[in-house]
Amino acid sequence: MNTVIQNILVFITLGFALWFLWKKYFFKKKTKKACGTDDCGCH
Amino acid sequence: MSKQINIALIGNPNTGKTSVFNALTGLNQKVGNYPGITVEKKEGICKLPRGVKAHIIDLPGTYSLNASSLDENVVIELLLNKNDKDFPDVAVVVSDVENLKRNLLLFTQIKDLEIPAILVINMADRMKYKGISLDIDFLEQELKTKIAVVSTRKKEGIDNLKHLISNYKDISTAPCLNASEIDKDYFDKLRKAFPNQLLYKLWLVITQDVNFGKTDRNEIEAIASFKTKSKSDLKRLQQKETIKRYQFINNTLKKGQTIDVSQAKDLRTKFDRILTHKVWGYLIFFLILLTIFQAIYDWSTVPMDFIDGVFANLSDWVKNTLPAGAFTNLLAEGIISGLGGIVIFIPQIAFLFLFIAILEESGYMSRVVFLMDRIMRRFGLSGKSIVPLISGTACAIPAIMATRNIESWKERLITILVTPFTTCSARLPVYLIIIALVIPEGRFLGLSYQALTLMLLYLLGFGTAVVSAYILNKILKIKSKTFFVVEMPNYKLPLFKNVALTVLEKTKSFVFGAGKIILAISIILWFLASYGPGEQFNNAENIVKTEFASQNLDQEELNQKIASHKLEHSFIGIAGHAIEPVIRPLGYDWKIGIAIVSSFAAREVFVGTLATIYSVGNDDEDTIKNRMAGEVNPILGGPLFNFASGISLLLFYAFAMQCMSTLAIVKKETNSWKWPILQLVIMTAIAYITALIAFQFLK
Amino acid sequence: MSQTLNTLKRGERAIIIDVSSEEIPLKLLEMGCLPGNSVELVQVAPFADPMYLNINGSHLAIRKETAIHIIIEKEII
Repeated sequence: MNTVIQNILVFITLGFALWFLWKKYFFKKKTKKACGTDDCGCH
Repeated sequence: MSKQINIALIGNPNTGKTSVFNALTGLNQKVGNYPGITVEKKEGICKLPRGVKAHIIDLPGTYSLNASSLDENVVIELLLNKNDKDFPDVAVVVSDVENLKRNLLLFTQIKDLEIPAILVINMADRMKYKGISLDIDFLEQELKTKIAVVSTRKKEGIDNLKHLISNYKDISTAPCLNASEIDKDYFDKLRKAFPNQLLYKLWLVITQDVNFGKTDRNEIEAIASFKTKSKSDLKRLQQKETIKRYQFINNTLKKGQTIDVSQAKDLRTKFDRILTHKVWGYLIFFLILLTIFQAIYDWSTVPMDFIDGVFANLSDWVKNTLPAGAFTNLLAEGIISGLGGIVIFIPQIAFLFLFIAILEESGYMSRVVFLMDRIMRRFGLSGKSIVPLISGTACAIPAIMATRNIESWKERLITILVTPFTTCSARLPVYLIIIALVIPEGRFLGLSYQALTLMLLYLLGFGTAVVSAYILNKILKIKSKTFFVVEMPNYKLPLFKNVALTVLEKTKSFVFGAGKIILAISIILWFLASYGPGEQFNNAENIVKTEFASQNLDQEELNQKIASHKLEHSFIGIAGHAIEPVIRPLGYDWKIGIAIVSSFAAREVFVGTLATIYSVGNDDEDTIKNRMAGEVNPILGGPLFNFASGISLLLFYAFAMQCMSTLAIVKKETNSWKWPILQLVIMTAIAYITALIAFQFLK
Repeated sequence: MSQTLNTLKRGERAIIIDVSSEEIPLKLLEMGCLPGNSVELVQVAPFADPMYLNINGSHLAIRKETAIHIIIEKEII
């Protein structure tokens, strides 16, 4: 029983880590371009 | 309860704006980002008399309301957008008593926006040294404002400023001068076309590419009754506007400010004569650099060893206290050591930022930029690139964030792309152990071969950064005006409060920014190394026991054999075997392959991974070293870590982009996946090819 | 006689006569680099580039490529 709980906790943590990275890198809102010149630093 | 007042703190760079912000808010501040862009947003809360609370935004420093960088754009976007939740009830414009003339330009522009504006004249303690005296009543009348004379260094005038802020409703919103006189015809037409809009606001919208609300530039251009001008005509008009403003300022200051030159003590000239000297300037810079490196490495050792120890003990304690099982192992080996891997860098990062903050606050950094610009330009970099390249030897992450003040996008991008070549502190553990294994102990001209190798690796890092900048400069087709203006501020003794707050805030942003990613990756790595598919992994204990039944192994040796068997058949072990064909030509076996793959999260993981793989119970470098020295190459025979494979590994780590967090920060700073991916591919390719050539020639 | 700013020697002073607005960034104008203002060369880096100037009380450094677009008249001492 104890090992089952421990394993469940491991998978929850793993899921959390994966979700965090996924959210961080793949679900970024598109940012709007706020300037037009070449050297404004936002390209 | 009364309404909270919104205050925007605006001012030229180097006016001590941040000191005023720190004086008003103390520790009640937080640093975030403006949505969607990487410009820092500093906010704070200040308590005013009569229980009123003020919300203060410290806007990025700007010389005028004509934006030439992303940071400056933020200022205009806020001031033009009345619907923004942070739109200021009152603008506090910070100026420096020695540069009042230049600082007032921005002030007159803000007055034209009809926002109540208070003028802070900061650094009042320097008035005596410079022989400056001011007629405050006259200036208040001419500039149609209230003036607070402040010295953040001596903590004077802050209460008066707070008092003025809380009475902001008494401040006139009338402009100081009529700027539309520069082209009456044009502005009359503009007024007729948009009778309900503020004239100066329209003008700002026309002259730059900022979007705000509904009166967007295109909309102005679409109105038939109003014809705007060509770009060069507009620029000429902006020039006229600037001249007009300066005329007003010069006339005002002629009466309101007297400077007794005979009273002025000029320390600047004396310092500059030495610090920007053609020979002494460079020599002093070099000595300062040496001191900083020495200090960072020396002073960090004690706290880093301490942190290392604390986390090792914590990990042990967790293992011994909590019930045995997978989650306990994850806590002890994955999460705690992952956290340790973040915390251990705090001393170095804090020291590095301490020195950079001191160099910047004192005004010395501008001199370095001045000295280095010509040399750096040959390689497509800017004088301002020197700051990131220096910081890169501690860690590429803060270094890349420090590129923000480079005006030219091309020079900035090149700096970001080459910074990861500089030898960061995470490469050091890898270098040290491999050098100890493969470089003989002899001496050359009194210097040990090992120390020379380490020095060569540092030079190799710098050299590669500079050479690749040169190549990138030739390849990249980015049209970007390479204009370069750097203000040379007066020398100042750094304020302790400013330095301390910078160090605190940068360290925090490292721990909570990059830290979360490192933690998540170490959890995943731990999982991949601790779980595996199939019989070989799940039944490892029995398989090993049968295999070694004939040998009389004690329990500890047997456990080590089991652990190493499990690792070989874990997900990561399978991955290691899968990539073995790719890395074999470089002289590595699958275990080194795993170490390379797992150290993608952070380079220093390499040593730790090898330690686990070679079944060494502890992380002590000497034991790992002996183990590694004893490894035999399965194909060629002889020691696995010999001169050829060692050099190959050193070169691989010198060039490879083995750092997840750096890639993340590059993505953030360039706002595109293109650059980090390019960086990863090219750096890995260079690493692979040089390592391959080295091994094939030396073996 | 008018010359361009890059011909100024260390310690010399001059008055700015004209700046070619096409080539000079607005930012530099806003920092005080405008016709009528005084300019002094405080220090030069090797190869006289960049130049460390005192323009109208503002201390700043610009590159030689920018300085050639600023017309000055030297003060006769």
